Amino acid sequence: MGPDLALLTPEIAVLLTAIAALIAEMLRRPRISLVVAVIGLLVATGLTLRLVGTDTTVFGGSFRVDTLSTWAKLILLPATVLSMLLARVDVCGSAREGTVYSLLCFATFGALVLAGAGDTMFLVLGTLLTGLATFALVAYPDTDPATEAAMKFFVFASVTTAVMIFGLSYWFGASGSTLLADLPGMDTMPMAVILGFVAVVVGLGYKASLVPFHFWAPDAYEGAPLSIAAYLSVVPKVGALFALTQVVRELPADSGWTAVIAGLAVLSMTYGYLAALVQDNVIRLLAYSSIAQSGYFLLGIVAVGSSELALPSIILFAAAYAAMNLGAFAVTAATGRTLSGFGGLGRARPLMGIAMVIFLLSLVGIPPLAGFVGKFMLFAAAIDVQFTWLAVVAIVNSVLSLAVYLRIIVPMYRRGESASAATDPSHGIVVITAFAATLIIGLAAQLFIV
Amino acid sequence: MNAVVLPILPPLIAALAVLILRRGLPALALAGATLSLAGSLWLLVRVTNGQAETLLLPGLPDMPLRLVPGPLTSLLAVAVATVGTFVLIHAVGYMRRESGQARFYAVMSLFLAAMQALVLAGDWILLLAAWELIGLCSYLLIGFWFQRPEAANAASRAFLYTRSADLGLYVAVFLLIGSAGTSEIAVSLEAGGSVSTAAGLLLLLAAMGKSAQIPLQDWLMRAMAGPTPVSALLHSATLVAAGAILLIRSAPLLTPEVLFAVGLVGGITTVAAGVIALAEHDLKRLLAASTASQYGLMLIAVGAGVPLAALLHLLAHAAIKSALFLAAGDFQHARGGTAFDQLKGVGRARPWAFAGFVLAALALAGIPPLSGFFSKDAVIAAALSASGAPWLGPLVLAGTLLTGAYMARALRLLWQGSGENQPVAGSAWMRVGIWGLVIPAVVLGFAFGPIEAIIELPVAEAEGTSVVVLGLLAAVIGLALGWLVSAPHLLGPVYRWAQRGLAVGGGLTAGVGRPAMAVARGCDRLEGRLYAAVLGAGRASLAVARQVRVGDERLINGLIFSLVAGVRGLGARARTLQSGLIHHSLAISATATAVLLVILFSASLSF
Repeated sequence: MGPDLALLTPEIAVLLTAIAALIAEMLRRPRISLVVAVIGLLVATGLTLRLVGTDTTVFGGSFRVDTLSTWAKLILLPATVLSMLLARVDVCGSAREGTVYSLLCFATFGALVLAGAGDTMFLVLGTLLTGLATFALVAYPDTDPATEAAMKFFVFASVTTAVMIFGLSYWFGASGSTLLADLPGMDTMPMAVILGFVAVVVGLGYKASLVPFHFWAPDAYEGAPLSIAAYLSVVPKVGALFALTQVVRELPADSGWTAVIAGLAVLSMTYGYLAALVQDNVIRLLAYSSIAQSGYFLLGIVAVGSSELALPSIILFAAAYAAMNLGAFAVTAATGRTLSGFGGLGRARPLMGIAMVIFLLSLVGIPPLAGFVGKFMLFAAAIDVQFTWLAVVAIVNSVLSLAVYLRIIVPMYRRGESASAATDPSHGIVVITAFAATLIIGLAAQLFIV
Repeated sequence: MNAVVLPILPPLIAALAVLILRRGLPALALAGATLSLAGSLWLLVRVTNGQAETLLLPGLPDMPLRLVPGPLTSLLAVAVATVGTFVLIHAVGYMRRESGQARFYAVMSLFLAAMQALVLAGDWILLLAAWELIGLCSYLLIGFWFQRPEAANAASRAFLYTRSADLGLYVAVFLLIGSAGTSEIAVSLEAGGSVSTAAGLLLLLAAMGKSAQIPLQDWLMRAMAGPTPVSALLHSATLVAAGAILLIRSAPLLTPEVLFAVGLVGGITTVAAGVIALAEHDLKRLLAASTASQYGLMLIAVGAGVPLAALLHLLAHAAIKSALFLAAGDFQHARGGTAFDQLKGVGRARPWAFAGFVLAALALAGIPPLSGFFSKDAVIAAALSASGAPWLGPLVLAGTLLTGAYMARALRLLWQGSGENQPVAGSAWMRVGIWGLVIPAVVLGFAFGPIEAIIELPVAEAEGTSVVVLGLLAAVIGLALGWLVSAPHLLGPVYRWAQRGLAVGGGLTAGVGRPAMAVARGCDRLEGRLYAAVLGAGRASLAVARQVRVGDERLINGLIFSLVAGVRGLGARARTLQSGLIHHSLAISATATAVLLVILFSASLSF
């Protein structure tokens, strides 16, 4: 038990941070709550650095401390800190400010549980932990749109989670174990494998907002505070996609699951960008864009188990995605939610304009930015396992995505308009951090990996 | 701390301090130079006691940078620091009314530091670096009054001349490092064979550039456009001396063929530059030509195989020439220029400076017991004892005679006649600077004995009364001719030619510049034709492209527009799918789940 707990220190640190932030809020000290949460998460990140390179399991194989879960911590904990800084602008001075920070910690804890899941019960636990915390976060503003969005989110989550638990019961029945590592033992019962897998795809697909389980996402992003939308688009999503990776690692290669994942990838990418093309609200545009980006993750997941490139590509794209997406949301937080708000931004606030252009071009996948390296690795992984057609579809979609993001970029440099960006120092910190990360991840990866 | 850095660091720190603090400039620069002098004296003492050690600094892989405090190098460091200190003292007075003082003192200090590094360098890499640095500093200093076109031109000219010759140093260094496998100077000099001949000739080229030997002497006269303290420093112990120092240090490498070439270059230069000096109409230009002539004498000594004689003459000349220049700076302030027309009779008006000038001039001519007498004696002895004595001897004696003649001419022109004097500011400082250098110029000869003892180099064998008599005779005849006979009479038909700097058929401009320009013009014409051809090809292809485009616009544009319309239509559909009604979306999700199940089941059944 002792060594197990030593391997779990980052998770324990996150949990303690969440509780400490809550206690600070109970004492009516929201600022302390924020400081405690930020420091706690950074400490947890530091504690994780010690674990890089570890590959083992704890609690009898039910939780994995491996490359995926370690990098999930290294990516998601800083992403949560940045979201928290954005959230401070949205909720500062409101009645229960500290609970937001605490809930963010709890939700991140759930995402980390998902990313390291080695047992079906941890899948359920992580989904519920993330879900419960994020419902409350979406509903936090207590306005009609927010409540409605939270309500939809909740109903959708309930149904999909129920489906997942139902499907997982088949796995338990067939293998007699809840461990993912025991899945290969079910070769004799293909029907049970399929039922369970579809159920897991439904449950995690909703969390990762894959088409066709994405319907909640645009409404929730629009209704929630902007910072929470940014958070939803990164942390739970990456957690769920990493969990899906953990599941498919154990599936037999010939059970047809790769075709399902590839199909979902095509659907998500294409549908996401097509829908984004006609949005006038930047938040909804970014929501659909994040749906499409989830589809790109699936290119790497298709290759899991057969290609060496699969895990590095997923992790690298997750890091790149976290940086560029949070950055784009942070700029949007400063400009407002409509496309017209971006008119003339590039002239009025040149630095912010440049940062936004970099984020969007990185989302498209233009070299030498982080998004390019991530997508390049994903394409390579898909091609490595004979899914060349999927890589081609993804590249075509990248071209389509340029049209989507140019809808934001072009007005920024149009003459005669002046954007009134109201920035808070927090926005600046997040934008600069994300900007640096986008450049550094891209350049460093090109220097050292590719 | 290793004592070998003591001469280098103070001026370097002073240069930085001047640039950063920008106040108390002369004091900072003087402090740097004085500390450098103290450091180099201390170094010399340690070296003579056998205590100093080589300092290794990290440099290229397997080629550390070395600072070697040998007897020769530390003695040169003392000379550099002495001249630098007194020149800076003089400059305090001379530069009093100039703007841009920070630039002046910073570059002067950097110059000193670089020169000390060059002198003490124990490996070729560091020597190259220092060599380049003094080139850069001299460019900056000669062009100090860069607003004046002639100063800017002179700076560029000096830089280009020396840079071209530096190519010789680069190739020589690569050759030596390549053949010896190490960058250490002392080791690489033991090369030998054809490599050493080639390297020696290349080093001679580099030295000719820096020491202004014929035919690369022109830049030195033009460099007089810079401030006079700069000239004093450049001509005595630093820039110009670098060439001679290079040859003295690499003397062990030089093969008989190279020694012959060195002696030839030196002999021609000492006579030709002497003739040019005799015909000059400007005091500073006369002194500059004299510098080239004296370095010619040093090259003769090296070529005769007695580098020690060259070293002695270098040390004596360093003191003498800087004193002469500093005195010239004083006259320049008194009359607003250095042309002899302006300087008529200035000697009577500035007695202190003129007395120093006279002593230094007599020293240079070689009158006993002044320092120049002893050093020139050594050079003559070296030339007469060498294997090439039949032709080296007459050249040396001619050079000595010409030295006396042009110095006497200068004294006559400065003493006779009269002109209008201006009040001179800061003349006390200048006086200290002049006399600080006149005194060594007078007494240095008595230190030659100990110096010969310190430095382990061979001395000339033909010490004898004939040498002394011959040298003295040449000097006295020269002085008498220069004082009594005017330059046009003395030179006769050569006078006009000498006034043009002995340019052969238009000089370097005609010999190198015009052919180069002709080639360049030819290339330009060829380029123009090529350009026209390319342009024509481009126009033709543009015409083709235009035709293609017309076709494109009708066909491909139509396709793209319909594609865009299609994509937009799909987008609108995607939006209608997103109705916002939750039971609607859930139904879609459920249907999709069912579809997935059906696909997978059918797939698994078909296996």
